[in-house]
Amino acid sequence: MATLFKSKLLLIGVSILGLLILVALFQPLINRLLIGDVNPISMGTFESYAEPSSQHLLGTDRWGRDWAAQLVLGLRYSLVIGALAGFVATLIGVTLGFTAGYKGGGTDGALRTFTDMILVIPSWPILVVISAYIKSLSIPVMALLLAMFTWPWGMRIIRAQVLSLRSRPYVDLAKVSNLNSFQIIFTELVPNLLPFLGVALASSMVGAILAETGLELIGLGPSAGVITLGLMINFALSWGVMALGMWNILFPPVLFLILIFVSLNLINLGLEEVYNPRLKRVTGG
Amino acid sequence: MVGLASLIELFKDKRWIMKKGAILVYILKRLGLYIFTIWGAFTIAFLFFHLVPGDPISSYVRSMEQRYARKIQDSEQIIAAYKKMMGLDGNLFQQYTRYLYNVIFKFQLGPSFMSFPTPAEKYIFEALPWTIGLLGIATVIAWLLGFIIGGIAGWKRDSPVFGIFTDLALVISQIPPYFIALALLFFFSYTLVWLPRRGAFDAYVTKAFTWDFIKSVIIHGTLPALSLVLTALFGWFISTRAIVVSILGEDYLIYAKAKGLRGGDLLRNYVLRNAMLPQVTGLALSLGFVLNGALLVEILFNYPGLGSLFRDTISMLDYNTVQGIMLISIVAVLTATLLIDLLLPLVDPRIGRESSN
Repeated sequence: MATLFKSKLLLIGVSILGLLILVALFQPLINRLLIGDVNPISMGTFESYAEPSSQHLLGTDRWGRDWAAQLVLGLRYSLVIGALAGFVATLIGVTLGFTAGYKGGGTDGALRTFTDMILVIPSWPILVVISAYIKSLSIPVMALLLAMFTWPWGMRIIRAQVLSLRSRPYVDLAKVSNLNSFQIIFTELVPNLLPFLGVALASSMVGAILAETGLELIGLGPSAGVITLGLMINFALSWGVMALGMWNILFPPVLFLILIFVSLNLINLGLEEVYNPRLKRVTGG
Repeated sequence: MVGLASLIELFKDKRWIMKKGAILVYILKRLGLYIFTIWGAFTIAFLFFHLVPGDPISSYVRSMEQRYARKIQDSEQIIAAYKKMMGLDGNLFQQYTRYLYNVIFKFQLGPSFMSFPTPAEKYIFEALPWTIGLLGIATVIAWLLGFIIGGIAGWKRDSPVFGIFTDLALVISQIPPYFIALALLFFFSYTLVWLPRRGAFDAYVTKAFTWDFIKSVIIHGTLPALSLVLTALFGWFISTRAIVVSILGEDYLIYAKAKGLRGGDLLRNYVLRNAMLPQVTGLALSLGFVLNGALLVEILFNYPGLGSLFRDTISMLDYNTVQGIMLISIVAVLTATLLIDLLLPLVDPRIGRESSN
């Protein structure tokens, strides 16, 4: 907990993200408070394009659905997809990054070249093609697809960190005192890597949510019944809300996505500020 | 000039004769890795594409049959004939080797499916200048402004105004350009109706080197460029400011101050010049990634670049065109990193080749 207060950026980032997660967690309750026991995505419940009022905080959409209730649901799905994809990507990235950094030599060279290959492939076009041809895209499948292209960032972070940790004196000491690799990894390296696991996770989540939003924006994404923030923007644009001047429809999902990105990135910067003082120049602190 | 000076230094250095062999080996190794990475990345992309079941021609013929409720005579032969023309006959490995052969030895991407039999490269080369123009100009403007403002902010780091500006920049630099584009489009094109909503120039202007055409291009390019500039500008601002702050603590700066240098001279000749090198490296890298960064922004503004071409071709599985766009993107990024890896050790003597990986 104390680390939280060492960095202003970390504190702000964690607060915003925590708030968003709370809203997503209590979505059923918030939904009940907003519109009662009504499914937020069933059509024609209310009149369409109602102005924002005390009944409908953000008004209603073209299909007569309360926009605020959908926003909370969309936030929940977006975060779930992002977190799931982020965890898988971090798992892949950490495994490969750790292997590369710890083994070094030829293994490191091969893994790094492979990572660079994945990194330079424009992932968005490939994701578009694949998701356009998968009939029903469930949330786990979607998350897996996203993770396939977002792991390289985590890999690079962890590899660089393991490389620098490996050559620290206390690891040499552990080697001299006859600890085996397994012991060295878990007693000396892993504890020092933990904050960077956080960095890797946050970077992967940003990448995954960004990619997912990109897919939704052109109308591809998880199958019916799943509404995400990106899909809400896609809806808004296809209804022509810009020409109708309906800021209340267009901007709330945009704002929520921006909050997600900003909070995750602030957490990243904050963690590096605290745990990697040499990188302090990232923020100039 | 820095590069030339250090080259001369390098020649003066007697160890150069000894180093020459090592440098040659390094360059050859790096070139080999460059080609290998392009090949690998493209192969992975190719495989992902062809994982998708079905092919564009069969599905097109079937949908025609369904639409007119009639079996097309000899449809199998038609499909086979077109597949051959499109380079989609044979198994995956044959398709792959043929595609590579055509690209490497004939510089051909094959016919586009979107409007057969126009070669795919024709569409790509029509779209490419728009993308390069828009993104190139936006990137350079963002870099220049970010570098200058960031340099001054780092120099005057105790000023409260720049402090607030830095906090703001930290937030804004994290917003994807697409969202900034949405906001700009909403306010400037729809609410205020100051700037056009879509396209790269007015339909009534003929494409020629005239003032009317250039004016139209600038007016249409303003919003897409601005949305790309804003995010990048604040990114460059933050990194430049951070570098400048770290330079302020260096010995040579303290020495220069002790010598009696003050103000503008010190900032220009000692601080900004030293901050320039890492930031120029960053600029070269970002110019490589430029193709990836803004596909969505182009699509939103219906800007006739690679993003819009991609949107039009992907829906009909126009393999040849889409693969061409991917290949260009991959080559651009890797070439930028290659150039930096090869040139940086020459320009900056502080960077050894050992640490450049």
